[in-house]
Amino acid sequence: MSFAWEMPPVGRAAETAMAVAATVPVLESARLRLRAPDVRDFAAYAEIFTSDRARHMGGPYSREGAWHDFCQAVASWMLRGMGVWSIERKADGVLVGFGYLWQEFGDPEPEIGWVLTEAAEGKGYAREAAEAIRAHAFDTLGMATVVSYVDHDNGRSIALAERLGAVRDPGAEAAMADPVRVYRHRPEGRA
Amino acid sequence: MTVALSGIPLIETERLVLRAPGPQDWEPYAAFILSDRADFIRPAEFDRGLAWRAFCHATGMWVVRGYGSFVIADRVTGATLGMTGPWHPEGWPEPEIGWTIWSTEAEGKGIAAEAARAAIDFAFRDLGWPTAISYIAPGNERSIALAKRLGAVQDTTAPRPGDGSALVFRHPKPEALA
Repeated sequence: MSFAWEMPPVGRAAETAMAVAATVPVLESARLRLRAPDVRDFAAYAEIFTSDRARHMGGPYSREGAWHDFCQAVASWMLRGMGVWSIERKADGVLVGFGYLWQEFGDPEPEIGWVLTEAAEGKGYAREAAEAIRAHAFDTLGMATVVSYVDHDNGRSIALAERLGAVRDPGAEAAMADPVRVYRHRPEGRA
Repeated sequence: MTVALSGIPLIETERLVLRAPGPQDWEPYAAFILSDRADFIRPAEFDRGLAWRAFCHATGMWVVRGYGSFVIADRVTGATLGMTGPWHPEGWPEPEIGWTIWSTEAEGKGIAAEAARAAIDFAFRDLGWPTAISYIAPGNERSIALAKRLGAVQDTTAPRPGDGSALVFRHPKPEALA
């Protein structure tokens, strides 16, 4: 079920939400469009984050917890100039997942992250989205490096980080409070 | 007066500016929310991580809902004084007009009243809300006094958020006060 606070805005509020969304960069790749999240995307967000699919991201969450996570990720656009994108398939506009360039509370540096809906897995979308986000981080924002924090038992994301040419950073891993792999991306190391 | 700046309205009152929250507001917000001034509006067990989440919840609402909390700033000095605005936190039965004043120095000058009046006006006139309430913890006498000064009347039949202990004050439409 969805709750009253998840309803799409109307009137002036809808105009404001669109104006704020317009400040979020749109990234395009061959098959995907990464755009500002819309409250209507929360249903898919909640489905992912209240499920076992969120086990590598501190989940599964309650629906309220997923809402807080969603708000935290979108607020990042206003507070840090980076945040979460909704990833849609260009061909049919279907939402396939979410991509991140953000720095969560307590994280030492900004990270690139990705999560897909179950139906969208196995098609290379996560890689395509991560490459688009990485290009934005390096080529548009001029960042020198960015990491991906990946759980040791998240085999799929480990494989993707390595396919992307990211390299584990033992020093950064040792500095983390909890055991996690830190994959470092560099502009020159892009695979 | 309401003008648009980067998509988010900017409201000017006699002494104040109500503007979008930004990164510069995080430290003053954290100092407030982690102090005993915020005892009525957050759980007793609270830390900086939860404070960040709460700050993002208030800020992110502008992106997902198209309205949210304004930071109250001094028109002349730009000093950050508090927050007010329409918002709809997770789990609440209806949207709310909230207000916080972040330091004792900013108290007792009618700042919360001036800012809250502008926020209520914005909710009714700009957002077209048919009604507006404020949830106030029992015992928060300053806030209760302010709600009454703003013309709000306690609504004992309205559904309440959380554990149901909050008092519900319903605001009159601005035209009813004119």
